[in-house]
Amino acid sequence: MSEIAEEARVVAATDEGASPTAELHVDGLRVSVEGKPILDGVDLRVPVGQVHVLMGPNGSGKSTLAYSLMGHPKYQVTGGAASFDGQDLLALSPDRRAKLGLFLSFQNPIPIPGVTTVNFLRAALRAQGKELPARDFIARLGEEMTALRMDPSFRSRYINDGFSGGEKKRAETLQLAMLEPRLAILDEPDSGLDVDALRIVADGVLRVMEKSEGRMGVLLITHYYRILENLTPDRVHIMHQGRIVDSGGPELAHLIESEGYDPYISAGSAAAAEVTSR
Amino acid sequence: MTEAATATGVVCRETLDARVAVSPAWLADRRTAAWDAFSAMPAPSSSRDEDWRRTDIAKLHLDRFVPAAAPTRELVELAQSRQAAALPGAALVVCGPDGTVTVEHAESLLAQGVIVSSLEEAAVRHPDLVQRGLSGIGIGESYFVAMWNALWQGGVFIHVPAGMQAVAPVWIGHLAAGGEQASFPATLVVVDDHASLTVVEDLVGLPDPTPRLSVAVTAFQLGEDARVDDIPVQQLPYETWHFSTRRANCGASAHYRLFGATLGARLQKAYWDVILEGRGAEADVFAVCFADAHQHIDHQSLQLHRGPDTRSNLLLKVAARDQAQSVYGGLIDVEPGAIHADGYVVNRNLLLSQGASASGVPRLEIKANDVRCGHGTTVGHVDDEERFYLMARGIPADEADRLVVRGYFSDVLDRVPLETTREWLLSLLDAEIGDGGGLEAIEAAP
Repeated sequence: MSEIAEEARVVAATDEGASPTAELHVDGLRVSVEGKPILDGVDLRVPVGQVHVLMGPNGSGKSTLAYSLMGHPKYQVTGGAASFDGQDLLALSPDRRAKLGLFLSFQNPIPIPGVTTVNFLRAALRAQGKELPARDFIARLGEEMTALRMDPSFRSRYINDGFSGGEKKRAETLQLAMLEPRLAILDEPDSGLDVDALRIVADGVLRVMEKSEGRMGVLLITHYYRILENLTPDRVHIMHQGRIVDSGGPELAHLIESEGYDPYISAGSAAAAEVTSR
Repeated sequence: MTEAATATGVVCRETLDARVAVSPAWLADRRTAAWDAFSAMPAPSSSRDEDWRRTDIAKLHLDRFVPAAAPTRELVELAQSRQAAALPGAALVVCGPDGTVTVEHAESLLAQGVIVSSLEEAAVRHPDLVQRGLSGIGIGESYFVAMWNALWQGGVFIHVPAGMQAVAPVWIGHLAAGGEQASFPATLVVVDDHASLTVVEDLVGLPDPTPRLSVAVTAFQLGEDARVDDIPVQQLPYETWHFSTRRANCGASAHYRLFGATLGARLQKAYWDVILEGRGAEADVFAVCFADAHQHIDHQSLQLHRGPDTRSNLLLKVAARDQAQSVYGGLIDVEPGAIHADGYVVNRNLLLSQGASASGVPRLEIKANDVRCGHGTTVGHVDDEERFYLMARGIPADEADRLVVRGYFSDVLDRVPLETTREWLLSLLDAEIGDGGGLEAIEAAP
């Protein structure tokens, strides 16, 4: 009974897709993996229409946050709350979260042998109630693939199967473009890319942003400043030991680029505050 | 087997006598010899017989199955609609469990000189050809083959004369018996030198809560340079005991290809044998199997290399859900004369539930020099990462599993040479996978 009610709410929320005030709220989120605490009370706000960047040393919990928000069963929420557009994310299965408008670009997406990229995308669109007539779909797909400089043969290749690192990033960006989410969590979409590929992926994300006309928010996880030359962030958050230890404007990313995370690692949050105030 | 136990069942002397009475002399003798062999044989036992070790039929009581009634109109129409959907343009042979046989749309084949008829009729009109068709099936080679040899009725016979490329495929619908009844599906196919044929054999029935028995033999004789594409589809009702032997004897340079789908029956024991007799004979066997609820599906394959330069390749992909069990045993047997034989056998299993299980035991027995043979078996699961990836795109868990399974089967199905048939097989698989919780549905039934 409660499940039916919940479904109705999700549908209603999806129908209000244009809601300009939708926001990701993360409050004191605590997450464990196989009993080991990783996130130790994360607080974060990402409104649609903005690009937020999440940086931090390896192992600080960035990907854990991304997977937890999408609902990976391996990540156990032990405390706190997460919602999007007023909907409690933690009560929803991953597919319901996707229908609500969340999207996760995987750092290393898994191959699914036998499932072609085109069938995969159609199944996803259908599942989200965004199915297009076949002709429109093919036209749209062709357009997005051209923009991402993907060979047409990609359509009939099995999703992520035998894809190079760069091809996987493009395929993830293609899915972002086709699915038009309201909140895109991009987990290192730039790792392992050369300068040209990086620009293509960044431009791809930018294009989706522009097309959304302020209806899509981005939470971008990255180690590199370079992608931010293409995608100017509204806010930059620094994560360390499972918490957001600092937040600021684009200049914060600059600072990390030149000085690294040492101040946060060596001195904890007191030093971090000092770094920000400089 | 005592007289008392069989007095009411179809597997009895009286049934044999009735069959003998309508058979030509040569066949009557064969039936009688088979019955004698059968009567002298114990039922296969999982404790005594190696290839029955994982398939226990102790609960099979032959005496509970009576002779089959004529098929219902609904069932005949089901068989017809399957052919119409999957292979329009094929000649259609519908075999009732009671021995009735109808042949439709075979005019173009008959005009070519191809024989498509009931096997009973062919046994009278073309005894030499039918005997050739049966020559690969030993009278008393096993318990169920002996039973079949004695008791089969109706059946299909196809003969393609030398040099003839059959202009249309033949679709054979074998209709399952009703509950508490038995059927003995029979298909004999003789394809002479340089001739070719495509056959679909569709075993189908209507759901019924009481068990039925199906004992089938399908035999192919391929002459020199003959080509056969054989598409067996087993979608018998859940409550079925199904025992089958499918065998292709291949002459020099003949090429036999099997594209199979095993979906139905509560318990199946199927033998798939390819006998590569002549130099350069080839066989490719590609099959998918989807099992759920409490299905127990057993495939045993034999790739027997007799001639030199023979080649065989087998790939069986199984997906099992709920409490279903898959058993597979495969043997590549290379006889001393089969130099340069090339044989390969692979069995892959995908488990979709904790309770499902699969065992695969491929074996090689090589008695010739200079051969190339290989085998492999794997058991895997749909893992959380695959499911999560699909769900993260909005695809619900059951649909995600369906996509993964469909993908898993695709390298077999992609090989099915007839496009409409391939699409139809996909739709059958989708329906089987998609009815989700076959177990719940069955356990919820009254």
